[in-house]
Amino acid sequence: MLTTIVPLIGRRLIASIFILLVVSVLLFLVLHVLPVDPAAMSMPPTATIAEIEAHRREMGMDQPLWDQYAIWLVKLLQGDLGTSIHFKRSVWGLIADALPATIELAFLSMLIATVFGIGGGLLLFASRGSYAEPAIDLVTIVLLSIPEFLWALFFILIFGVALNVLPFTGRLDADLRLPEGSNFLLLNALFSGQFAIFWNALKHMVLPCFALGIAFSPAIMRVLRSSLIDVYQDDYIHLARLRGVTETRILLGHALKNAILPTLSLMGVQFGFLFGGTLLVEVIFSYPGLGSVMVDAVRNADLPIIQAVGLAYCVVVLVINTVVDTLYLVLNPKLRAQ
Amino acid sequence: MTGLAALCAGGPLISLNSPALAQGQDSAVIGWPSDVPSWDPNQRFSPDSQPLFKLVFDQPLDQDPALHLIPKLITKWDMAPDGLSLSVELRDDVSFHNGDRMTADDFRYTFFERIKAGHAVDTKSSFGKVSDIEVQSPTKAVMKFSSPAPTAPTWLGFLGSYIVPKKYMESVGVEKFREKPVGTGPYQLVEYQLNSRIVLERNEKYWGPKPAVRRVIFEILKDPSARVAAIQSGQIDLTINVPVRDIARLQREQSLAAEINPITRVVLLQVRNDEGFSDRNVRLAAHHAIDKAALSKAFYAGSAVPLSIPVSPGSAGYLDSYKFAYDPELSKKLLAQSGFSTAKPARIKFASTNGHFPSDYDMARAIQQMWKKVGIEAELETIEYAKYFELNRAGKLPEATLYSWDNASGDPEIYCGYLLNPKLPMSAWKDPAIGGEITRLMAATDNKARIEGWKALAKDAVEQGATIPLLQSVQTLVRKKKLAYLKYGNGWVLANSMRWS
Repeated sequence: MLTTIVPLIGRRLIASIFILLVVSVLLFLVLHVLPVDPAAMSMPPTATIAEIEAHRREMGMDQPLWDQYAIWLVKLLQGDLGTSIHFKRSVWGLIADALPATIELAFLSMLIATVFGIGGGLLLFASRGSYAEPAIDLVTIVLLSIPEFLWALFFILIFGVALNVLPFTGRLDADLRLPEGSNFLLLNALFSGQFAIFWNALKHMVLPCFALGIAFSPAIMRVLRSSLIDVYQDDYIHLARLRGVTETRILLGHALKNAILPTLSLMGVQFGFLFGGTLLVEVIFSYPGLGSVMVDAVRNADLPIIQAVGLAYCVVVLVINTVVDTLYLVLNPKLRAQ
Repeated sequence: MTGLAALCAGGPLISLNSPALAQGQDSAVIGWPSDVPSWDPNQRFSPDSQPLFKLVFDQPLDQDPALHLIPKLITKWDMAPDGLSLSVELRDDVSFHNGDRMTADDFRYTFFERIKAGHAVDTKSSFGKVSDIEVQSPTKAVMKFSSPAPTAPTWLGFLGSYIVPKKYMESVGVEKFREKPVGTGPYQLVEYQLNSRIVLERNEKYWGPKPAVRRVIFEILKDPSARVAAIQSGQIDLTINVPVRDIARLQREQSLAAEINPITRVVLLQVRNDEGFSDRNVRLAAHHAIDKAALSKAFYAGSAVPLSIPVSPGSAGYLDSYKFAYDPELSKKLLAQSGFSTAKPARIKFASTNGHFPSDYDMARAIQQMWKKVGIEAELETIEYAKYFELNRAGKLPEATLYSWDNASGDPEIYCGYLLNPKLPMSAWKDPAIGGEITRLMAATDNKARIEGWKALAKDAVEQGATIPLLQSVQTLVRKKKLAYLKYGNGWVLANSMRWS
């Protein structure tokens, strides 16, 4: 198996480098043609035009665009993402602080999307031909048509404001202190045995994760149902029935294993979208992740952050796609044979 | 998330809510709209961060709620008649949070050595004229300026002017200082998470009045509707800058007090002196055509005071007796003198931000309609606030741009002296005549003559059509009724003035 997987990862890595280079050029060009002046933005409002011009030269912004790109790229390869214009902090540090929160949010949301997606898909399949099928189908269409930010608003209104049972701002209650250590708050609290913090952090993640997860689950449901319908046309299902295997065992023990492959492929793509969706959800829930950093950066025209966060999103999506492709290969012997 | 406020507005679902106490009487949770740029208080002129910095750091001078300059770390100050030096006396009973005594060396380090050392601090702009600070004793120093600096005392109580500890900053470096800031203020920073929360605890050794609230938690809630939902659900005890349209509804909540307070921020049109606005008649017609009272009523519940000069009422440079009339008929006459009418309108471009300050774009659209009625056809475009400087520097701002300007000091220099100074990037007006007068007033050392000079300049600028002031801006604030605070004319909401009843 390794002889198949290692070359795949190798090819993926080479392709990823190429994709990242293209994205970096696009990001750099798009951001530098915008009528935004980082030199002026990094100076106090009382700075004179002459002072701003001098600062522009200091920042190397009087150089040709390609030279500026080359300098930026060389620094990037050396692990220097630059300094934030607004915060005057290392961009790397800002991303390192914020990314764990977004990763936790995205993974928990994906878990919810997967549980709802697979559960719903099985329900849809099981209800085929019954009176309940049109109603369940309608529910999935409604779920599919509601975007994550609308779920977020509904959840805040219902569970946060009206029922007042779940928090909807930040990562922890005001009376709790953040534990020392990494910004992977859930893992950090769990492994350090601070279960009150873990429980509280989890409570703070319920609404944003459900907003994201529920928005992304209907697509999984529908693809799984279609895959199951296809799989049920195969001979081995009929043979299993002839051997007297129960319908439940056929579904969960035989059909699901094969039907899950296209669903897995979809989930890889969905995760990319879901990761992007965290941006809006983080803003709505005042959740201090990468999305909040990005929105701030856009407001402040903080180009070094926008460039770096854009690339960070791209890297995460590429990594997830590589992992999904690898899993696909592990789970599908036919592909390995090819 | 603009829909949330609408969703929250009234309805049986909301009536189920019974806000719980966010914290006990010993602490307060505040929903704040923005984070600090960093914990180096000299680094960035950030008006929204001043109420946070003022809790951890102290300024050499301070302002009282009516914005008069008052002693703080400096007990006495004396500006030389020529404006070239300022003698100061510092308190002798002040310690930093790490126990180090605050002395004149720290004062020199903050306002001179950091700037000369090339630290990335905005104070190099406000104190760039400082040629040296002579330390005469641990409590006495003389600030020397390369050219007259009559407003130096004002700046010592204004943006970015917070004393930082020389010894500590030099030993740990600026980066580490930003991570673990040390000040002399009434609170110490005990926890900070970027874009999320700031936790402060009372400095029990504070030299001044001890705050009544021991622990203050700032939850950074950037979305106005999120702040409304949070105060309504009881997750926070106080918040600011909620949408004006929500205030009346929140006032009906039994446990909450909702206020609209005029502050020292002004909303105005920054205008050019060329292109479609090269003709004074057109500029003045544009000004006479705007019904500012109607704008205030429509967008600020009538709380924003209509302005005739770009200075906030109650501040030193305000001209109470001067009124610029709303007179659409006069607008039409002025336009007719220049050959324009509703049939043959003057055509200009007009820019506005959308969401930079409350109702900005809606206000711009209302002005566009007011102009249309008298014969000015304005093509409205939206610009990002961040692009304003770049567009202005490149001479690409349109004839009129809706703009807001904060001046917590209330000093008239920081209104017209900046808004109309052709050398500065915020001024769209590039007339050297006004620029010359501004330079003269900035060097004037006789305070009374200086103030009168700024008043005259403001009036003259309005009559030339160099600026179109609109409204004194407002700050909205919602709090639990039991949490009292001290109201400042410049909108500062200071946690050390808060008290539970």
